[in-house]
Amino acid sequence: MSARPDAGHIAYLAVNGAIITFLLAPIAIITVFALNPTPYISFPPVGISLRWFEKFFSSPEFMGALWLSLQVAVVVLVLSMVIGGLCALALARGNIPGSRVLTAFFMSPLMLPAILTGLALFQLYLLLDIGRPVWGLIMGHTLVAVPYVLRTTLAVLHNFDRRIEEAAAVHGASPARVFFEVTLPLIRPGVFAGGIFAFIVSFDQFPISLFLVMPQGETLPVVLFNYMKFDLDGAIAAASMVSILMAVSVVVILEKVIGLKSYVKL
Amino acid sequence: MDQSASSPASIGLDAVSKSYDGRVRAVDAVSLDVKPGEFFSLLGPSGCGKTTTLRMIAGFETVDTGRIRVGDRDVTDVPVHKRDMGMVFQSYALFPHRTVAENVAFGLRMRKVPKAEIEERVRAALALVALTGFEDRRPGQLSGGQQQRVALARAIVIRPPVLLCDEPLGALDRKLRQQMQFELKQLQKELGVTLVFVTHDQEEALAMSDRIAVMNAGRIEQIGTPTEIYDRPRTRFVADFIGEINLIERPGGKALAVRPEKIVLGAPGAVLDGTIDSASFLGGQTLYRVALSDGRQMLVKETNAGERPVRSVGDKVGLAWAAADGVELEA
Ligand SMILES: Nc1ncnc2c1ncn2[C@@H]1O[C@H](COP(=O)(O)OP(=O)(O)OP(=O)(O)O)[C@@H](O)[C@H]1O
Ligand SMILES: [Mg+2]
Repeated sequence: MSARPDAGHIAYLAVNGAIITFLLAPIAIITVFALNPTPYISFPPVGISLRWFEKFFSSPEFMGALWLSLQVAVVVLVLSMVIGGLCALALARGNIPGSRVLTAFFMSPLMLPAILTGLALFQLYLLLDIGRPVWGLIMGHTLVAVPYVLRTTLAVLHNFDRRIEEAAAVHGASPARVFFEVTLPLIRPGVFAGGIFAFIVSFDQFPISLFLVMPQGETLPVVLFNYMKFDLDGAIAAASMVSILMAVSVVVILEKVIGLKSYVKL
Repeated sequence: MDQSASSPASIGLDAVSKSYDGRVRAVDAVSLDVKPGEFFSLLGPSGCGKTTTLRMIAGFETVDTGRIRVGDRDVTDVPVHKRDMGMVFQSYALFPHRTVAENVAFGLRMRKVPKAEIEERVRAALALVALTGFEDRRPGQLSGGQQQRVALARAIVIRPPVLLCDEPLGALDRKLRQQMQFELKQLQKELGVTLVFVTHDQEEALAMSDRIAVMNAGRIEQIGTPTEIYDRPRTRFVADFIGEINLIERPGGKALAVRPEKIVLGAPGAVLDGTIDSASFLGGQTLYRVALSDGRQMLVKETNAGERPVRSVGDKVGLAWAAADGVELEA
């Protein structure tokens, strides 16, 4: 017996299909361009080749930028997880007066256009006369990455049953042990979920990087932007493909190695 | 030192008080003494301060004034993790990221018990709560009753001198609840542990406890055995809270309390006369509502056994009871 598909269900599938297509179409187009061997971006494709990937991977400029972007993103990932996680704990648990206002304050980089944050940091560094060191860039990225970790961790803490910590304490765990045996393992999925966003926000970061990189130390999005001003060939598409794969790998690795399965109901 | 050889401890609360953010007292000058190995219940309506009292014994809440003693040790200022107690929470509070065996092993691990001994004791504790074979499951994969047993095993595996339970059976359905009541009582006697049990269910308290402290608005109204509490309530509150009772007002604000089953129905012309207003068949007993001539109402429970006259609504009856069954209430 097969149920007759009703109109509502068909509409539901159609809307979902449209949304998924809309989300994935750019990736499909990028893939086509990355594999199309014509020397400029064109449609329809004339064949399949890996020449643009070859060009990307053999260019010291691209490779240097990719490597720098990766390093920065990993440091930002770690920093924002530590800072965001600790901030979330303090805000949710610390009995801090005005913690709502403080939370809003820490979340504010999400509300501001990143270009303003970039400009502000650029002027700040200028005023302080510290030049444009890599750690300055990292700090800029971390500033906009922390709110992601803060938000996901706060969500976990909000639903956290503190009786679980009490059960640990009453059965003999000191406050430090309660933290490492119970609190940390239970908020970890939230911290890592935010960390993934932090990684991507940094790896993908353009407006802030634009202000804070030095000419001899540009991150991948900046290099791609500069490249595009003069050449619009498949190397850009190939670089985009590589970026997407990087981001996906980070998610998959974190998922597999640490596990994002949450024990706390969200 | 042999960690396993802890014997049940007494518990003493000496005029313990607690108020939250300066408002009314959640617990008001509570004093009580729990004997070693005793099943002691804190019973009272919602919000009367049972949980707060238990949490102060555990050390989760500080006391405003008063002292708390376990055995001959003053624990008032001892942090939670050094009080050496077991506790079962209403919401179970199992560690969701740990297996059943790891949950049960937790207290032993904190006490640095050797690995081989941990394994052995976890096995024994799980056997005791009939959960052998569930070692590698996670709490999320267990039913409510099974989670309850894991929580119990986690608390008793450390062989604590004192076991605290805050409405541990509250989340279970009636049937399972009755079964667990029986098992918990058995287990407590077997282990000989001192147990402080919080409940708002009077039947549960009467059925399980050696002694009960009835609480009202942060204060203890009466402490006694289930029989004492039921047969000899001291205050209106206790009389009213436990079971059904008839209150006969006396001059000077005093009252006489008589349980419905202590009243004998007979021919008119007894202590009090009245008319049967309604009769509810309860199976083994019938509950009559009798309207007295002055408008008051009395409840009378008659056992449906042997020969007894058939009574129906509208019958005129006389009510009498043995003088010893009438309890003078203090207030
Ligand atoms: N953390 C808290 N902050 C403020 N007030 C509290 C807190 N915990 C309890 N109270 C108040 O203290 C009083 C006693 O609460 P408690 O939880 O001890 O009652 P209880 O007897 O356990 O009730 P229940 O049967 O509903 O669990 C109540 O009036 C309650 O509102
Ligand atoms: Mg309570």
